[in-house]
Amino acid sequence: MPTRNTSPMVRPGASGRAVEGGDKRERARHGAARRRGRSERFAPYVLIAPAVLIIVALRLYPLVLGVNFSFTGDGEANGTAVGFANYLELLDDPLFQTALANVGLLVLLLPVAVAIPGLLATFIYLKVPGHRFFRSVYFFPAVLSPVIVGAIFNLMLAFDGPLNEFLGAVGLGPVDWLGDPGVAKFAVVGVQIWATFGMALVVFLAGFATLDSSLLDAARVDGASLRQSIWHVIIPSLSQTIQFVFVTTMIGMLTSMFGLLYVMTSGGPEGSTYLPEYYIWIQQGQMNRPALASAASTVLFLIMLVVGLLQISVLRRAGRED
Amino acid sequence: MKRTLSAGVVVLALTVAGCGSATRPASTPTESAGAAGAASKLVVWDWKSGEPYAASYIEKAKADFAKKHPNVTVEFVPQPFEQYYTLLGAAMQTKTGPDVMLFNGGGQIRDRADSLLPLDEYVAEDKSRLAGWEAFAKDGKTYGAPVTLQGHPIYYNKALYEKAGITAPATTWDEFLANCDKLKKATGAACFALGNKEGIGPQFWLSGMGSGVLTPAEYDDWIAGKRDWKSPHVKKIFEMFKETGDKKLNNEGANSTAMFTDIFSVFNTGKAAHIIGLMSDIGHWKDFGEFIGPDKVGIMLAPVVTEGATPSLPYDGGIGYAVAKWTKDPKAAADLVRSLTTTDALSSFSAEAGAIASDTTISAPQDAPVVGEIVAQLKAGKPALHVAMDSKTIDLMGRLSQKLLSGSATVDEAVEELAASDQEN
Repeated sequence: MPTRNTSPMVRPGASGRAVEGGDKRERARHGAARRRGRSERFAPYVLIAPAVLIIVALRLYPLVLGVNFSFTGDGEANGTAVGFANYLELLDDPLFQTALANVGLLVLLLPVAVAIPGLLATFIYLKVPGHRFFRSVYFFPAVLSPVIVGAIFNLMLAFDGPLNEFLGAVGLGPVDWLGDPGVAKFAVVGVQIWATFGMALVVFLAGFATLDSSLLDAARVDGASLRQSIWHVIIPSLSQTIQFVFVTTMIGMLTSMFGLLYVMTSGGPEGSTYLPEYYIWIQQGQMNRPALASAASTVLFLIMLVVGLLQISVLRRAGRED
Repeated sequence: MKRTLSAGVVVLALTVAGCGSATRPASTPTESAGAAGAASKLVVWDWKSGEPYAASYIEKAKADFAKKHPNVTVEFVPQPFEQYYTLLGAAMQTKTGPDVMLFNGGGQIRDRADSLLPLDEYVAEDKSRLAGWEAFAKDGKTYGAPVTLQGHPIYYNKALYEKAGITAPATTWDEFLANCDKLKKATGAACFALGNKEGIGPQFWLSGMGSGVLTPAEYDDWIAGKRDWKSPHVKKIFEMFKETGDKKLNNEGANSTAMFTDIFSVFNTGKAAHIIGLMSDIGHWKDFGEFIGPDKVGIMLAPVVTEGATPSLPYDGGIGYAVAKWTKDPKAAADLVRSLTTTDALSSFSAEAGAIASDTTISAPQDAPVVGEIVAQLKAGKPALHVAMDSKTIDLMGRLSQKLLSGSATVDEAVEELAASDQEN
């Protein structure tokens, strides 16, 4: 190495310069690293800032305002704090109680709403004759708006409508589908399921695409019946898909039935088809009780929060099992 | 789990934060900034100005207003009626709404009176020319000027009457029931066309039949707010309503038939002989006349049930314009309301929209003889009973009426619940 042979006079200086230069570089490197470290530390915050700001400004802030508003009065008491008066009034209102009871009914009917698309998807997957045709036909109602669906079924289910005419022709008495409180809520839920099961069906079919067909073949070779195949092979393999459909169907039922109710029953007969959403709309728009409506909205929000958290925990547990 | 907890904390924080604190105080006094001369703009909300039949009415009103306030521009914003009060409620909450707005008379305007400007000092001159002011008044103050009159005549199908050999409408309830029998046997038509899906049926019933059941004193007390729910006559009105269900006098499936779309066609197609309809806007003489013939539409007064009752046509101000409290130029806004209720503008509206206008000095359209009968009844007419009630009790009455028809509530239970709600509000 030529440097070894250089004079000792030069060496220290040279090395001194080298050290000096190295120090500068080191410092620069350190500085850059520090800067990089700082900017790296802030980068995530900067990157999520737009999303956070949007959520805070457009979601959380209005939510806080709404909750705050629910503790104020209506009409002459507008703007003055009334504590929990609105919530107490809600608890006392038989109409709101009916609305909450109907939420319970929807939860109870959820398995039906999930089982129907699940079964139909199974048949399509098993390639029943005409499965291609059914695949598109089943999806068709999902593209119709609730108002159109409601109008169609208003005609179909009218007292002098085609369904009752058919029942009359086969010798059964007419049913007041939308006028009998015991029947109307099931009629509306039935229409909701009819209108939305197409989407769940598509999710199920996507789930089937990941299903290991050799398992089904093996079951068939072992002589399993259709019921046994569904119960022991298909359902366990699709557990995650089924849970996903449960969550989305529940949310759909709780938040998107307003259009149907508005068109088909107006909450009637006898207030039997009220849901919290419809109640909120009536109080805000028809009764001029915005603060009471805010209180009802807060209650609906809490219900959705509890339902959502329960469902997330169920999904997470299912994820761990896999 | 962590996320569950933090979400819970957020909710708790929100709940606590909400307690006690309130939004800004209700009313801030509006200063009258724009004097009559200064250039400014008035915004009007309604659900009529977008309709073709209202075009010449709006034009005439605008022209009249321009003469008084040449520097003030007026913008009409038609809103969809289904969402009108929802939108208006939100606008009123923020106090950024229109300066002038259309209202239905009765509960809708009274419930919002605290956001409206009393118009008495501005409209004094119009008081005797226009009818129907009571529906726009609360606690002795007038908050709106009527454009149309809305009422509930009992319409009947003269062709069906002829077929059944009935020469004149009944004057007593028993006679009326007998006529219903005859009509059913001769024509197969139901006695009443009743659409009670939205629960509107009992409002029309209460007002249509009430004057034949309540004594004049009871009637006036009811309108004045002294409603005696313990009176056997009040109960009788609801018993009669239930009777129409029990005796199958209504069309089938009344609780699932919509009032404003389906039930009028039941009457129009001769499937029912009577309907308690409206006078303006929809479901009135003009609509019915187009189907069953203008000369076949008749109106009758409520059959008498109680001795001493004097049947009269129930009507009120139908729709009318009001002024918001927060408007910057109350005088100009009130003048616009006056321009919207001139004789000239109203006669246009009456002729083209098929409405009974509030102006008593204009003559009704001549192509329908029944209009003459309605107008003749106006003088002796009284405010409708249901318009005097608050919207919450009206809503409750709708649900209870469905229960009465289906048999899941008794008349006693219904009247008791209504009394409690009426006295509370």
